[in-house]
Amino acid sequence: MTGFLLRRAGHALTVILLVCTATFMLVHLAPGGPAVLADPKLSVEERTAIEERLGLDRPVLAQYGLWLARVARGDLGRSFLYEVPNLRAIGERLPNTALLAGTSLFLSVLLAVPLGLWSAAHRGGWVDRVVSGAAFVAMAVPTFWLAIGAIFTFAIALPLFPAGGATAAGGSGGVLGRLYHLAMPAVVLAAVTTAELLRYMRSSAQTARQQPFIRVARAKGVRDAAIQWRHVLRTALIPVVTVLGIQIPRLVGGAAITETVFAWPGLGRLGIQAALGRDYPLVMAITLFISAAVVIVNLAIDLAYLWIDPRIRMDQR
Amino acid sequence: MSTPRRVVLAASLVALVACSGEGPGPNALRIPLINDPILNPVLAPDIGSVLINKVLFSALVRPDEHLRPTPDLAESWTTSDDGLAWTFALRPGVRWHDGEPFTARDVKFTFDQALDVKSGSRLRSDFAAVDGVDIVDSLTVRFRLKAPFAPFLSLLGYNAGILPEHRLRGRKLTDATDFNRSAAIGTGPFRIVSASSGSAIVLERYPGYHGAVPALDQVIFRIVPDVNAQVAQLLAGELDLVPIEPANLGSVERAPGVVVARNPIVQHVYVGFNQLRPAFKPALVRQALDLAIDRQAIIDGVVKGAADLPRGTIPMVLSGYFDGSLPAPAFAPDSARALLARAGWRPDAEGRLHDAKGAPFALTILVDKGNPTREQAALAVQQDLRRIGIDVSIETLEFATLVRDRVLPGDYDAVLIWWTTPPDPDQYSFYATGQDNNHVRYSNARVDSLLGAGRATLDTVARRGIYAAFQREEMTDPPVLVLFYPRELLAVSARIAGLPALGLRDALRHTERLSVKR
Repeated sequence: MTGFLLRRAGHALTVILLVCTATFMLVHLAPGGPAVLADPKLSVEERTAIEERLGLDRPVLAQYGLWLARVARGDLGRSFLYEVPNLRAIGERLPNTALLAGTSLFLSVLLAVPLGLWSAAHRGGWVDRVVSGAAFVAMAVPTFWLAIGAIFTFAIALPLFPAGGATAAGGSGGVLGRLYHLAMPAVVLAAVTTAELLRYMRSSAQTARQQPFIRVARAKGVRDAAIQWRHVLRTALIPVVTVLGIQIPRLVGGAAITETVFAWPGLGRLGIQAALGRDYPLVMAITLFISAAVVIVNLAIDLAYLWIDPRIRMDQR
Repeated sequence: MSTPRRVVLAASLVALVACSGEGPGPNALRIPLINDPILNPVLAPDIGSVLINKVLFSALVRPDEHLRPTPDLAESWTTSDDGLAWTFALRPGVRWHDGEPFTARDVKFTFDQALDVKSGSRLRSDFAAVDGVDIVDSLTVRFRLKAPFAPFLSLLGYNAGILPEHRLRGRKLTDATDFNRSAAIGTGPFRIVSASSGSAIVLERYPGYHGAVPALDQVIFRIVPDVNAQVAQLLAGELDLVPIEPANLGSVERAPGVVVARNPIVQHVYVGFNQLRPAFKPALVRQALDLAIDRQAIIDGVVKGAADLPRGTIPMVLSGYFDGSLPAPAFAPDSARALLARAGWRPDAEGRLHDAKGAPFALTILVDKGNPTREQAALAVQQDLRRIGIDVSIETLEFATLVRDRVLPGDYDAVLIWWTTPPDPDQYSFYATGQDNNHVRYSNARVDSLLGAGRATLDTVARRGIYAAFQREEMTDPPVLVLFYPRELLAVSARIAGLPALGLRDALRHTERLSVKR
């Protein structure tokens, strides 16, 4: 177990380093350069002073070396766009992203798992047909379209929900205010995830139902509900949990669009604006942060397999 | 998620909200910003920061409804005979939002920082003519200038909000993170209550304000990055004042409770031709190109009427200097062809222009990606120029790429872009030979001397004569092809009253006058 964990930690560090190197090169290769230098009104003198202050006058490789050295000391640098330490910029946005992504993932699992199980057990039934249809629509419609559509329907035509923001403009509004503002973005963000999870759940439950041990259980006279929940569900969850792990970075990335349209102050939007503004230090800090999160979540998921499926043992891996 | 479930969820949440007392205070103005601002007028790099800083920080002077500088933190001022010393008597009894008195030390501190290019200052080139600031007494400051500089007063009222020395001395401005993000104090009519990253900055009435008592309880800047989302929030009653594009006019004008203001701003939108390219060097060619464009069609079709016909580069809104007696630009493709023939461009059988060696007249117009108004204007220019036989293509690029990779190094034929200038006719840095902002590399000795004289002449009447001569010179040797003077489209909630007929940048210097109709 310890060997396994050490090996995985080594892999994780390598992956993170590769991702960071690639991102660093990509953002520096992208045309245009930092938005703080894009103002055509800057004089040559001002432009030079900004480049010197931000360290942009050095060669890219030297900048990368400096960045690595700083990260090794735990210093993620300062944002060009906002003049704040990146760690603070991320810290301010993280709770909002966690709330939005967490809620939407929770909604997705809550809906997809039972509906997928039911659909697999009652293939071709009306639930299966309605749910599958809805899933295909949710997957086909682009998120920004769904978001704008939701705003026009549920904030303007039927003014049930706020059109944007995480709280009321004047202040906090408490927990209920948060929930009220969370509802539309969370549902929109959950739509695609739910649809995909549902498709996986349905097909994986179907495969599980054909396993020999299910027939054995049935032959032993185990009740249908018990077969469903104890045997089918646990077996079927393996591929679904894998997909769930892949959803984590997608929720942050996909959330960027939802966050932008709903003016939700999250990390994805911060990342998009950092990339558009070529805020190199902030892009790098967010990349490092998200890649670390993905690696850790995937490690956790590998460990979860052990708990979910008794057939999987460490020595087999 | 399927529809019935959504409705159930919506209904239950509505029930929750009914008891949560949701909704902004009624006596508030809510304005969108696309990004978290930097609350420091010396550092402010973007329009959003500039806007909120105009509410938080007062300046020595502020522009009135005719964009003339009027007293604000300075009560009065005198200029020495040689124009090199400006002495300002500061308003007594002004207090910062934390209660500390405002004094000459604050003014000196602000301009010492603004003039120091290493401080991160974005105001250095505005005040390059300033040699230094001296404190005469606690309520008197004197600016020493290197040369007489007529735009000085307008620039003091433009972006130069005064910073509190007692909060910022002894450290780098860029390191004052708390101040710059959430704890800024100024002397403006509203002070900060709270700032939450990516979400909103809430300001409240400052009871100790030195001017008229602000009518609003609050001014709230909400961070809403997407323009369509801003319009949606306006329609949903969650924002009060949204700058929009002509393309948004349709959805906004039909909406109840929203009025659209079309306020003139100090801006000219133009096609600049790179005069390092031999084809664009002769004034005759640029005159011809000027005649080939149907500007009225662009103003009506693309900008939906929210612009004025130009006469040179000095916008109409600078009414003290704009020479309205000049003829409106003619749309005369035949004259354009004739001028081009004189410049050596002959049409072939299909009407395409070629020079004496048989090379075609071809050019590429750069335009920034994502702004439908400018992209469509570029298309209109392309069609008009094609009609007189010029082979025109269009290249769209991200704004930063367009500026840094192409325009600054001079790697382009033509670019559709704009200048927003301070409320002063001085355009020396844009159109005098060899200046940093003269991206089109225009060079005209008479214009150099006129623009040089224009910024050095303090007498208003003499100055007006100089700029009238400049505008006449522009008719025969146009530095750029001015397409129009845009008006800023502001979609405003009908409940808001007292908004001056100015662009948002200048209107927000008068936030204390805005109110909510009862």
